[in-house]
Amino acid sequence: MTTENKTITPKTSKQTVLQAHNVRKSFGARGNVQQVLKGIDLRVAEGEFVGIMGASGAGKTTLLNVLATIDRSTEGTILIDGVDISKMKDSELSAFRRNQLGFIFQDYNLLDTLTVKENILLPVSLGKMKKQEAEAQFQSIAKILDIEALADKYPHEISGGQKQRTSAARALINQPSLVFADEPTGALDSKSASSLLRTMAEVNKQQGVTIMMVTHDPLASSYCSRVVFLKDGNVYSELYKGDKTRQAFFQEILNVQAVLGGDSVDAL
Amino acid sequence: MCRLCSGVTALTLFDLVKRSMRKNIKHYYLYFFALILSVVLYFVFATLQHDAAVAAQGTGTMGAAFQVAGILLVFIAGIFIVYANAIFLKRRSREIGLYQLIGLTKRAVARLLIIENMLLGIMALIVGIAAGMLVSRVFLLLLMKLIGYEAFIEVSFSTAAVIQTFFVFLAIFVLTTIQMVFTVYRNSLLSLFNSEKQGQHPRKPKTAASAILALLGIGLIAFGYWLSGRMLNAMIFFNMLAVLATVILGTYLIFRVTISWLLYRIRRSKNGHLGLANSLSLAPLMHRMKSNANSLTIITVLSAMTLTMTAAAYSLYYSTEQETQAIMPFDFMFENEAGLADDISQELDDNGISYQREAVETFVVPAEFEEKPAPFLERATDIALFSSEQLQQAGLDVDVPENGEASFHDVSVATLFNSVTLPFDLTLQDEGATTLSITEIAQQNVLNWSFFTSQIVVNEETYQSLKAQLASETGDAALQQMDGFHIAEEDMAAASAIYQQDKYKVSEPHVDYYSSYDGSIQSNGLLIFIAGFLGLVFLISTGSILYFKQMTEAEQEKQSYATLRQLGFTVKDIMRGIVRKQAFVFGLPLAIGLAHSIFAIQAASFLFRTDILFPASVAMGVYALIYLVFAVLAVGYYKKTVKAAL
Ligand SMILES: Nc1ncnc2c1ncn2[C@@H]1O[C@H](COP(=O)(O)OP(=O)(O)O)[C@@H](O)[C@H]1O
Ligand SMILES: [Mg+2]
Repeated sequence: MTTENKTITPKTSKQTVLQAHNVRKSFGARGNVQQVLKGIDLRVAEGEFVGIMGASGAGKTTLLNVLATIDRSTEGTILIDGVDISKMKDSELSAFRRNQLGFIFQDYNLLDTLTVKENILLPVSLGKMKKQEAEAQFQSIAKILDIEALADKYPHEISGGQKQRTSAARALINQPSLVFADEPTGALDSKSASSLLRTMAEVNKQQGVTIMMVTHDPLASSYCSRVVFLKDGNVYSELYKGDKTRQAFFQEILNVQAVLGGDSVDAL
Repeated sequence: MCRLCSGVTALTLFDLVKRSMRKNIKHYYLYFFALILSVVLYFVFATLQHDAAVAAQGTGTMGAAFQVAGILLVFIAGIFIVYANAIFLKRRSREIGLYQLIGLTKRAVARLLIIENMLLGIMALIVGIAAGMLVSRVFLLLLMKLIGYEAFIEVSFSTAAVIQTFFVFLAIFVLTTIQMVFTVYRNSLLSLFNSEKQGQHPRKPKTAASAILALLGIGLIAFGYWLSGRMLNAMIFFNMLAVLATVILGTYLIFRVTISWLLYRIRRSKNGHLGLANSLSLAPLMHRMKSNANSLTIITVLSAMTLTMTAAAYSLYYSTEQETQAIMPFDFMFENEAGLADDISQELDDNGISYQREAVETFVVPAEFEEKPAPFLERATDIALFSSEQLQQAGLDVDVPENGEASFHDVSVATLFNSVTLPFDLTLQDEGATTLSITEIAQQNVLNWSFFTSQIVVNEETYQSLKAQLASETGDAALQQMDGFHIAEEDMAAASAIYQQDKYKVSEPHVDYYSSYDGSIQSNGLLIFIAGFLGLVFLISTGSILYFKQMTEAEQEKQSYATLRQLGFTVKDIMRGIVRKQAFVFGLPLAIGLAHSIFAIQAASFLFRTDILFPASVAMGVYALIYLVFAVLAVGYYKKTVKAAL
């Protein structure tokens, strides 16, 4: 059975982690409704590293929040691991986020009053994970992200890149089926940014963690295995990295972006 | 062109101010509330102070008590408002920085703030005085009821109170203005923008030093408590100072070191596995402990003082009747004035007042205690001897001692004998040196006594033999004939008026139970009123300050709550940690304050003959309950913040 499956093309052989169909999202009350997402269809397979690109205000964060159950869609269905999240109650959603998802934010969103280790272990604090297990998990993740030495430091004592690694470790501690990252490199200098992205790509490859990353930076998205372009609330196009080098993929992304609207998205 | 130009900037500036004011409305509420509350309470107090009915009722002490309390009140109100203003300014510092950033001079910003402060102040005065007029009647009724005044009363509008309130708050306004100017001029733009984020990060305590200081804090308080139970000796004044100093210093160390040290140890033992509830209570508490140590110490110590003050005042008030009865078992009495006793009996009969007249006999002899019974008492003393059977006949509730035994009656010193082991010997200074064994220290007198002689009750047989031996026709040991009167409750006032006529005044002091009780209830009623009023003001001030602080913290931690909810923690999960923090923030000052005041009351219990467990518990219970209201309010505010965070 398994060997048979392996012969089919890799794209479909993997299990679907996230399936969004006709997702719409509007803000504002009657008379002043702004439709930000206008029917998005998206499928993310296990082990993918998906980049979401688009101009500022294109609805990237909105899409991420809706997919990540932080916000509710106005319309459409979203299945994560086969579970329809649009039908869940708020408390179920919370539990779902805590147990199944991981988050990395642009502003790190670490708790100032907690040390690096305490921040990382926060998501497991209400879970069933035993202390030894959590400790082992922490050690291995801290090693991968190269923040072992920072365990007892407070966020104000470490650099932006280190903060974002801490944030990434916190996202991974629960062994989530899907990690959401919103502009994780947005506040980092280019060196810390590429270091973080390399680590994320590595975690994606070696641990098989599925990642969905929102970014407006073509260089950042060049680390992804697939890039989805948003425009005016719709999926504009998609690019697969395939076997291309990162440089080639980067060039391709730039090309799409140029068609999409000017050469620099930042200019918007 | 330039005119137009400045017109445009002025407009945008005005818009900015307006928008910022709208955004800050919550902050204004807080400061405005503090202002109004202070005005209301001060105005009520000033109204009572100037009220004709109170003045008419009051003796000299009343005015003085009001004056002292008034000064205290100004202090509390001043500190409260300045503190609220400091919080207010801190929360607005970003706005103040913004004004400067867009080009307003410091001078202009200061002017803006002062005008705003003035407007707020005037509004608070108007609203506060109006509200004060409405509630002052309630307080006046309460005061009159407490001091036993029953006639109909009307609160008159007092211009003097308005003027007094105005000037007090003008002075406070000047203070807050200085505070505002100071904030604008002394802070750099950068610090203005960052002051919201301030909060020190917990340092790893130097283990040895902080362990010693942490334990020292506990030790100092324990020593203070221990000493408070052993203050009654020749060094009482020094002891009191020592207790005060050790307890206050200990409290400071507890807040400054001990708690951080304990929390640090708990946290370290968790090795990073802190858990959500601790992350929301222990961690932020440690974060702010250093900056909160001073205010928590002050709040705790003042809470303890207020609690002690109100509990003591209420106990005094509560036990007034019992105390007076203990001093005066008869409603009034004549000593060796059988003629006057006959006269007054006649007059009472004429007025249709029923009474019981009881004759009691006594004589005074010098005596000596086996050893000094208490630090303040001499061994040698004069005692008056009584027969228990005679007293029983006179309607008093006394036991009949065995032969050679006696009970000791003297309320003025009874509590000083608390630590004396019974029985002990009392030797009469006669030729035979008769020794009586004191088996009981009674908590009431057997006679209204007008001079300070302890009363000794022996049985009839012993009394008669001592009388035969010691009593003389004349001189110090002369036999004295007492005529005591018991009056029925409903006739007490009338009988008291008769007794207080000049023709019956042959000796000083000329006191009777009723007028003595009346005087005590007036002064104790005034005391409990003032103590209660100040206590309430203080309680509301400290409660509000803690509440304001928690409001600020809630806002500072809003981002954390948003993050936690994004990570998948529910409002309920988060609130569990927050409730734990509130229990700590409000509970700790209250618990330590309560403990302090319990020991203080216990140390002062020698002032009370009666059991004050009940009145003291009531006072403390009410205090704790009002405190709880603020904690509940704070939790409510947090809940709103957490809910709105995502
Ligand atoms: N909570 C909200 N209420 C109203 N409008 C919103 C809200 N969140 C986002 N928007 C609007 O939706 C659009 C897309 O926002 P966003 O998803 O943040 O864009 P991006 O992340 O791509 O820069 C913007 O025009 C923004 O103004
Ligand atoms: Mg965004």
